[in-house]
Amino acid sequence: MFRHRLLQRTNQIKFKKRRLIMKQNFLFQASNISKYYGQNIGCKNVSLDINPGEVLGIVGESGSGKSTLLNCIYGNLEVDEGDIFLNDKSKTILNFTKISEPKLRLIQRSDLAFVHQNPRDGLRMNISAGGNIGERLMAIGHRNYGEIREIAANWLEKVEIDVSRIDDKPSTFSGGMQQRLQIARNLVTRPRLIFMDEPTGGLDVSVQAKILDLLRNLVRELGIAAVIVTHDLAVVRLLADRIIVMQNGNVIEAGLCDQVLDDPQHKYSQLLVSSVLQV
Amino acid sequence: MNEMSKNENLDIQIYNFAYLDENTKRMIRRALLKALCIPGYQVPFSSREMPMPYGWGTGGIQVTSACLIPKDILKVIDQGADDTTNAVSIRKFFQKTANVAVTEKTSDASLIQTRHRIPETKLKEKQILVYQVPIPEPLRFLEPRETETRKMHALSEYGLMYVKLYEDIAKHGHIETAYAYPVKTNGNYVTDPSPIPKFDNPKMNNSPAIQLFGAGREQRIYAIPPYTNVKSLDFEDYPFEAMKANFKCSICGSSDSYLDEIIVSDDGKRSYICSDTDYCKEQTKLNSKKED
Repeated sequence: MFRHRLLQRTNQIKFKKRRLIMKQNFLFQASNISKYYGQNIGCKNVSLDINPGEVLGIVGESGSGKSTLLNCIYGNLEVDEGDIFLNDKSKTILNFTKISEPKLRLIQRSDLAFVHQNPRDGLRMNISAGGNIGERLMAIGHRNYGEIREIAANWLEKVEIDVSRIDDKPSTFSGGMQQRLQIARNLVTRPRLIFMDEPTGGLDVSVQAKILDLLRNLVRELGIAAVIVTHDLAVVRLLADRIIVMQNGNVIEAGLCDQVLDDPQHKYSQLLVSSVLQV
Repeated sequence: MNEMSKNENLDIQIYNFAYLDENTKRMIRRALLKALCIPGYQVPFSSREMPMPYGWGTGGIQVTSACLIPKDILKVIDQGADDTTNAVSIRKFFQKTANVAVTEKTSDASLIQTRHRIPETKLKEKQILVYQVPIPEPLRFLEPRETETRKMHALSEYGLMYVKLYEDIAKHGHIETAYAYPVKTNGNYVTDPSPIPKFDNPKMNNSPAIQLFGAGREQRIYAIPPYTNVKSLDFEDYPFEAMKANFKCSICGSSDSYLDEIIVSDDGKRSYICSDTDYCKEQTKLNSKKED
């Protein structure tokens, strides 16, 4: 038990040190965030930071506070304690908990993006694929139909949807296609940080693989930073540079992805890693 | 018994002037003033139960009632016509309750209540145009949550409005929306011009007359003050186009007024006539003068 505590402590110190070094050119930083649902803890004292182009995985069991954390740092949920900073395009540091709602909404649709687990939450189902991709463009002031359509077609190609389906409604798409469309819709304005809540949940394995492959390429190619919430360790192994492990609203372990997955220090992380099914 | 005969003698005295009581009119006037100060902004007001069903112009009537003064000359049109049911009954209503003079001539009227048209004759200063509005919220069918649409107006997040126009072009090759075509008022709020044909949209821009909009069921009032910039939304490569049927009026021969299509025989023969009856009459008069 003592050895375990010691290891945990050293790990925390390592983590802190690294944070001090990275602070100079960070993209996004959350410090000591807490969110309570009445008596219940959503997440408690969570700190994390993300560098430009980095992928951070958040893993943990259901109810561990992953999604709460994600919604807090995206600005969808108001945090009870703590600060969230974004280093925006003009290099000014904004505090999400202090800025006005119009500003926050503007940032949410230009610098940030959010991919929902269920594409129905993130898409407009009664509007064509092209319109879905174009919406964010029109929201930031694009007013040329030809241009919008061309960009939309390009993005359909990028996410491997046949361009001839540009005028079809997402309701006629398969689950995997809908998810890819949602990704295209979010990436079209070139956000710098994308939040994903179980992006491959509810899809069959081969479709999952395809989407992961696509995500990996897009994120690397465009240099977009990402936060991926998942309970699937294979997903983080494939995509993430660093991960944090959560349990009961607390971060119990954090570190480089391979380091944590190959050599988990906390009891729960060990359990999580060892319970992955081997084929 | 005595009371009743008194009432019969003073037919109009049983109503307050223009039907509504003074406090209600005052409340509506306050909403109107606010609406004029913030062009295109939808001001909530406590709409009253009127002696007619919703959808018949309860909003327009309340606005007219609040604006009317005894020396006003009132004109009421419905789809441009002075002689349709809605127009006739509303005109009679104000004759009875306010005893104001009425006219069919656009240029003579000081207050015009309209349903779904703007008169062809150019409006002047000191004229008031009151629109009957069924749905004041241009974003209603795009975003069902009222809390959200209000936020969208407040933050001018109008991307969604353009998505609708995008869908039109993607589906039909051009902007198919033909009526209630959304406009931007004073470069700020996106406004529903009530279901007027988009042919009438340019008439709203920089109009010397005051334009007031009343939505009774939805309890909203909004306004466009005189000489305000009103721009119909469009794309750079698909500019706004004021459309009408490409025919001549079969009564007055006018080719520049908005036309109604009517079926004149059982085998589907069609004819086109001006929807603005007053304008049509004027044109016919002018034509016969020319012939003389």
